[in-house]
Amino acid sequence: MALTATAAHERAEPSYGIAAIVGAVVLALYVATLAPTTGMWDASEYITAAYTLGIPHPPGNPLFVLLGRVASLVPVSSVAVRVNMLAAVCSAFSAAIWFLVTERVLAAWWPMRWTRVVAAATAALLGATAFTVWNQSVVNEKVYTVALAFFAIVSWLTVRWCDDPDGPVADRLLVMIAYLIGLGYTNHPAGMLVGPAVVVAVLVRRPRTIMRWKLVSVALLAAVVGLTPFAVEPIRAAWHPVLNEGEPTGCTDRIGVSCTFSKTTVTRLMANVNRDQYGKPNLAERQAPLSAQVGMWWLYFKWQWLRDSRETQGGIQLFLALGFLALGIYGGYVHWKHERASFWFFGPLVLTVTFALVYYMNFKYGASQSPELPGVPREVRDRDYFYLWSYSTWSVWAALGLAAAWRALATRDGDGDRRRWLMTAPVLMIGLIPLVGNWRDASRANETATREWAHDLLNSVEPYAVLVTLGDNDTFPLWYAQEVEGVRRDVTIAVTSLLNTDWYPRGLTRRPTVAYDAAKGPAVYRGMAAPPPTKPVFSLTQAELDSVPEYLDVRTPQVFQSGTLRAIVDPRRLEYGVPLRGDLMVLQLLKDNLGTRPVYIARTSGSYITALGLEPYALVQGLATKIQPAIVAPTTDVIPAPGIGHVDVLRTRALWSGYRGPASIMARGDWVDRPSVGIALLYINTAFMLGQVAQQRGDVADAEKMRRSALSLAEATRTLDFFLPADGPPPPAGGDSAPKRTIPVTP
Amino acid sequence: MKTPELAPSRRALALRVLAGATLIAGWTDLVYGGISAGPLLIVAGYAVLVPGVILTWR
Repeated sequence: MALTATAAHERAEPSYGIAAIVGAVVLALYVATLAPTTGMWDASEYITAAYTLGIPHPPGNPLFVLLGRVASLVPVSSVAVRVNMLAAVCSAFSAAIWFLVTERVLAAWWPMRWTRVVAAATAALLGATAFTVWNQSVVNEKVYTVALAFFAIVSWLTVRWCDDPDGPVADRLLVMIAYLIGLGYTNHPAGMLVGPAVVVAVLVRRPRTIMRWKLVSVALLAAVVGLTPFAVEPIRAAWHPVLNEGEPTGCTDRIGVSCTFSKTTVTRLMANVNRDQYGKPNLAERQAPLSAQVGMWWLYFKWQWLRDSRETQGGIQLFLALGFLALGIYGGYVHWKHERASFWFFGPLVLTVTFALVYYMNFKYGASQSPELPGVPREVRDRDYFYLWSYSTWSVWAALGLAAAWRALATRDGDGDRRRWLMTAPVLMIGLIPLVGNWRDASRANETATREWAHDLLNSVEPYAVLVTLGDNDTFPLWYAQEVEGVRRDVTIAVTSLLNTDWYPRGLTRRPTVAYDAAKGPAVYRGMAAPPPTKPVFSLTQAELDSVPEYLDVRTPQVFQSGTLRAIVDPRRLEYGVPLRGDLMVLQLLKDNLGTRPVYIARTSGSYITALGLEPYALVQGLATKIQPAIVAPTTDVIPAPGIGHVDVLRTRALWSGYRGPASIMARGDWVDRPSVGIALLYINTAFMLGQVAQQRGDVADAEKMRRSALSLAEATRTLDFFLPADGPPPPAGGDSAPKRTIPVTP
Repeated sequence: MKTPELAPSRRALALRVLAGATLIAGWTDLVYGGISAGPLLIVAGYAVLVPGVILTWR
């Protein structure tokens, strides 16, 4: 029994109350699986940015920072949980909206309200439990769940406009949509992705709308008003918060009118907003074949319905993916067939956030994609989160397809009475598959390893140390620990990837010295004389720092001398074959601080110490390597370790006793993901090393204890097969913070 | 027959004033280095009051 669209809509007022209940149920699921603290990758950066009202990596996401800051003020639980809840609330809100959209679509041809409600609830649940949506909703790793909420609300408003484009509120809805698109852009540029679908819907439903210049002008004005939160960036940057990425201000000391409204501010702000730091290639230059890029989308599509991170259910995963692909296509068809008005919005939206996004993002091969191709350029991590909107909207269509199948079963022998609908309703259980299949991998309920890792690494270094790190995962968690939890704020973190920029070294010189709190530090440092430094970490002026070149065109080994330290720097062992600005800054840090304050390089740096020729001066202490001013001499407690210098056995063993990372990994029984597993390997490597030393010293009990620790960690993280090269585990991926460099090739 | 109301209602007008005042206060606090009241007011302005103004606009 089909209804006319008008009749159906008249009898089907949106079930806002039930939508709220659905959203609350989804929120309860997310709360049950919510991360209790920070997570790997960008979670720590965004939590820190929100808490300090700082500026995260370009484009700076000012709306997110504002929302995150407000969330962080809610007086419940920890700051990290408060910001994680922002992601959960946004996604639950989106689920409620997808409920409304699905119910609206079904209203065109489903007469019984309860069936529409059940089918719409299935759509909401399916979208909420798709792996990437769920996994990103239980820790605030990115700004994409906020973007999803914007997609959802714009979708609902557009569907409502499509219902009655000449109605009394139609114009206001369009102005509101324009405003929200502008506002969404200040959360993330992806906020614009919904725009083309809105334009298509308007052109199809009421093309003359675009000729109404007054309405169009007001809509554009509303969009501009929505963009104004970008002003947060130069205002906050001028206050020089601890996170001031891109430093989008011309003010050097304090905020002022002339420096804020200066050419420097505009240039830096535009560079931030346009993400110039990353130098994304022209779309014509494909970073991987388009087929491989579509293949990446498909790989992650398969994850949505059964994540199977241990790769033991490949056949079932493929079967489910094909099933949900077919359901989505069928759902799109029934949407087109029965509810054309909203189809002209939702169809283009699905296309935009799927195929257009695949083309636009122009990714290299995915981190987990095609492992049989070892030499191809790869993304540093899996980028499934970029397709979160794709999988979320696809879930609506898949649920429509499922609902249509239910209807077909219920009405097989006629119109279908209530009893037949009830009897055939179990077919909707298919929509519960992701809830069951993804729980283990999507849940972050006991994921605390990142926080413990940050504490352990910070506590590996002596008071007032300079700690050189390499990328996202050995840096962002440390920022979080310092700025949000107040742990070891005496340590100055210097990340090489950002030392390549001009703004980051300037920020380091501004960083005040924070007193070391011996009572909260590791026992091993108690009683140690640790006078606070009296000078900034760099001896150079800001102008001198700015003048350090982007790279030195030096491709043969060079001598670096500082006091008694004489290192042979081999550019051929550096990532780009020449010393970059960041490498020069690291050498400058050594020059300015050796002998006056401890300088460490995180052991996540892999062979970086060797490339800088520092191995003879390297002394491993826990998870970091201290660079000594003179060549390290072996003793009974300082033993040589080929490839990494020497190991301070006593210090490392003492530090190990205080590490909480291993217990945290064991509690979860796995590591977060494969691209960052190098951190788990670092713990395992350390335990093995300590076990071997204990064995050599005849301490059989400790040797066995450490060996067991190493083995159980390796089994839990599925890394037994890595064991174990002499120079330690592979470094973690550099991450997204690394600015892209193009170094000319010298013949 | 009721005459169509062309001027904004008192409530709509009050909402506009409130939205403007909230945003001005929020931005001012932010400019002066505030990181609590400023964000709260700005978020309230952009997420609640401005949409309210748009939806009640005549």
